[in-house]
Amino acid sequence: MNLEIRNLTKAFGGVRAIDDVSLTFPSRSLSAVIGPNGAGKSTFFNLISGAFRADAGQVLLDDEDVGGLSKAERMHRGIGRAFQVASCFPTMTVAENLMASVTAHIGQWGNVSRRFPPPGVRERADEMMELVGLTQVAGVEAAILSHGDQKLLDIAIALALEPKVLLLDEPTAGMGPEERWRMIERVRSLWERQSLTLVFIEHDMDIVFQVANTIRVLCYGRVLAEGTPDEIRNNQAVIDAYLGTEAHAE
Amino acid sequence: MDLDALGACLTTPACVVTQTTSGLIVGMLLFLVAAGVTLIFGVLKIVNFAHGTFYMLGGYVAYTVLGVTDSYTLAVLAGALAMAVFGVLFERALISRVYNSDVLMQLLICYAVVLIFDDVVKIVWGPEFHAMGMPAAFQVPPFFIAGGVVPPFYAVLIGIAALIAIILGLGLSLTRFGKTVRAAAINPQMVSALGINTTLLFAIVFAIGGGLAGMAGALAAPVRSLSPGMGFSILIESFIVTVIGGMGSILGALVAALLIGMVRGFGTIGFPQFTDGLIYIMMIAILLLRPQGLFGRAS
Amino acid sequence: MSKHPAWRDTIIAVVVLIIVLVIPLLHRSPAFEDFIIRLSAMALFATSLNLLVGNTGMVSFGHGMFYGFGAYAFALTMQMTELSLPVAAVIAVVATAFAALCVGAICVRLSTEYFAFITLAVQMLFYSIIISWQSLTGGDQGLRGGIPRREFFGFELESQLHLYQFCAIVGVLGLLALRHISVSPFGQTLRMIRDNEDRASFLGIVLWRARLSAFTIAGAFAGLGGVLAALFVSGAYPEFADWPNSGQAIFAVMLGGIHSFLGPVVGGMILLALNDLVTRYTEYHGLILGIVILIFAVGLRRGVLDFIKLIRLGRAR
Repeated sequence: MNLEIRNLTKAFGGVRAIDDVSLTFPSRSLSAVIGPNGAGKSTFFNLISGAFRADAGQVLLDDEDVGGLSKAERMHRGIGRAFQVASCFPTMTVAENLMASVTAHIGQWGNVSRRFPPPGVRERADEMMELVGLTQVAGVEAAILSHGDQKLLDIAIALALEPKVLLLDEPTAGMGPEERWRMIERVRSLWERQSLTLVFIEHDMDIVFQVANTIRVLCYGRVLAEGTPDEIRNNQAVIDAYLGTEAHAE
Repeated sequence: MDLDALGACLTTPACVVTQTTSGLIVGMLLFLVAAGVTLIFGVLKIVNFAHGTFYMLGGYVAYTVLGVTDSYTLAVLAGALAMAVFGVLFERALISRVYNSDVLMQLLICYAVVLIFDDVVKIVWGPEFHAMGMPAAFQVPPFFIAGGVVPPFYAVLIGIAALIAIILGLGLSLTRFGKTVRAAAINPQMVSALGINTTLLFAIVFAIGGGLAGMAGALAAPVRSLSPGMGFSILIESFIVTVIGGMGSILGALVAALLIGMVRGFGTIGFPQFTDGLIYIMMIAILLLRPQGLFGRAS
Repeated sequence: MSKHPAWRDTIIAVVVLIIVLVIPLLHRSPAFEDFIIRLSAMALFATSLNLLVGNTGMVSFGHGMFYGFGAYAFALTMQMTELSLPVAAVIAVVATAFAALCVGAICVRLSTEYFAFITLAVQMLFYSIIISWQSLTGGDQGLRGGIPRREFFGFELESQLHLYQFCAIVGVLGLLALRHISVSPFGQTLRMIRDNEDRASFLGIVLWRARLSAFTIAGAFAGLGGVLAALFVSGAYPEFADWPNSGQAIFAVMLGGIHSFLGPVVGGMILLALNDLVTRYTEYHGLILGIVILIFAVGLRRGVLDFIKLIRLGRAR
């Protein structure tokens, strides 16, 4: 599914967090969004997913504007997202997390006439666990999962909604180097197997340049550059504004 | 409902004075109790359901001290002091164990304390009502304002409570400790990050809350009778005050307490059967229109 | 929860019901029978509250109003009409559900602590309406004149045995229905809201609708508890809708455990039994009850069944 952003703008108390951003994420692309801290990356995701309402601009899914829809409606149109801080249901087991999510997705959340889970849901949940590699911990409560597994569960919950576009906000946040690569490999294989349009925010430049097909650079709420990893690597504006500061910071 | 009577009262200065006086008494005593509730909630984020017990015990301690020393001043001071100590013990021994637990667990502990001390009062002072009686110094003829009767004791009571309200307000806004308390009410993490001894802070907050409630109980003893369970209704009203005024706001507590006092004062004439109902309607309206209360900060 | 087959709960319910029904055939004990009658009302009251507190994370301080509403609605219907007892009971429960729907429509959008206070305020308003509307409710004296206990299906509730059987059946069926709701997809939805309402709403759950449904259902079952209570005392009293009564339900829930379906029932049992036992030996039952509650609260820091669950999990790991 093609995701196109046109002239998106959002201000918080006079400060433009996202300022007239237009970007296209072609169907089945794997794109990274990078930018220094405070560039507006998470806000950008929040605007696409509908957590925030944009001041101006459009969010087009296959040429249909979903900018006026609620986050739940956008989710139904195929925009899924996982969060920077893993967002799951801590007192439920991994399997219950996914079964509950699938149940909600198929519109059965208000059903009182049968037992949980409704037929077919368990199988879908098993698929999701298989897909992200959580089958081993199916019976473990989410609250006591490792950090990485919680992030995977968050992604699996997003997948339960059968998204066409998947937004991942720093899937490798808070992980050690090895764990990061394992995580990103899983993300990549997900993208291949599920034929998703996948957009992820990432700080680790090695990962970004090696994994993404295309890279978008945000800086102070504006698009600084976009292109293939090679193009970005050699873009003087990016080197100045972004890589310069960030490299020094780290 | 008797709107004619209410109208008649509002146009008669004597009636206005009398009802205002009784409204102020109710309001100021309520403020002393509610100030503690709102302070404790503001700093510790704990809804102290045992606060009515402090009030009750303060009244009984004063009753006994008055019997022994024959000094009303000593009795009030003893009631306040005893409850300040009791507040600290209560916080250290029980509440401090459940800071990180469920709100309902805190509620359960407070309820247990309420049950226990209602019975302790029955055992020590007996289950019957006690009347403390007006201190001898105040057994003088009332004075009149615009034809309305004002017993001198009422005037003194209102004066003392107002004085405490001012001291409390100034103390919180001017002293270093007061600033810490207010900072803690806004951001507890920050205060402990600044290296302030929160254990001590919490104990002091409970001491102040307990002391104020104890004093309110002692001050109220001559005008209201003492009985086990008397803390119950004032507790509910202090919650209403806290909600209407805004949780954690002392000024809000003062305004809300006076508001409720006035509704009580004049409501008894216009709606003798439904004064309580009026107050609850007020609370519901505030919660719907301005959930953070009149003087609370929106979260 | 999904590990057990669907019929397991039903079988447990049937077995318990049979045992309870057989006991008086072997040995009549008025005290025991009274206990079960009161427990059936208390169990419905507390378990329905736990649908809000434990399942959904909505702490209501005003659940007693629906208990009281059910009791008054039932008693008044029986007194003022010639309808049969089950019909009056159904009317009372439906009316309570409607009342809960209206109250919930106002309350459920507020965040946790404000929700607790507004439910308390609405309950106190309801209580003062009962007190002041003397011509209908009898004011603070309660609704007098008794409830005509018209015979139905061979039940004559004048007889203690029949009342006992009726309350036991209604109580167990009511609990079974609540259990059914709690293990349904909707019950799971409530848990999702409790755990993480943001994520739940992202998944397409309409939070206010789910909360309002839970509030209405809980109110209806509290009303059913109130119907049983009204039958037991043959009247209705404002105390049913007063806040100490809501407090009782909260304590039953907390004592028994909020994360176990039967927790509130066990808590209710402990509370009632303590009350009965202690009042027999001393007039200071508040003192004893308070000390016991303190031991539970400070010692276990969770309800009895939750504590047992934790120990069993600890051993399993």
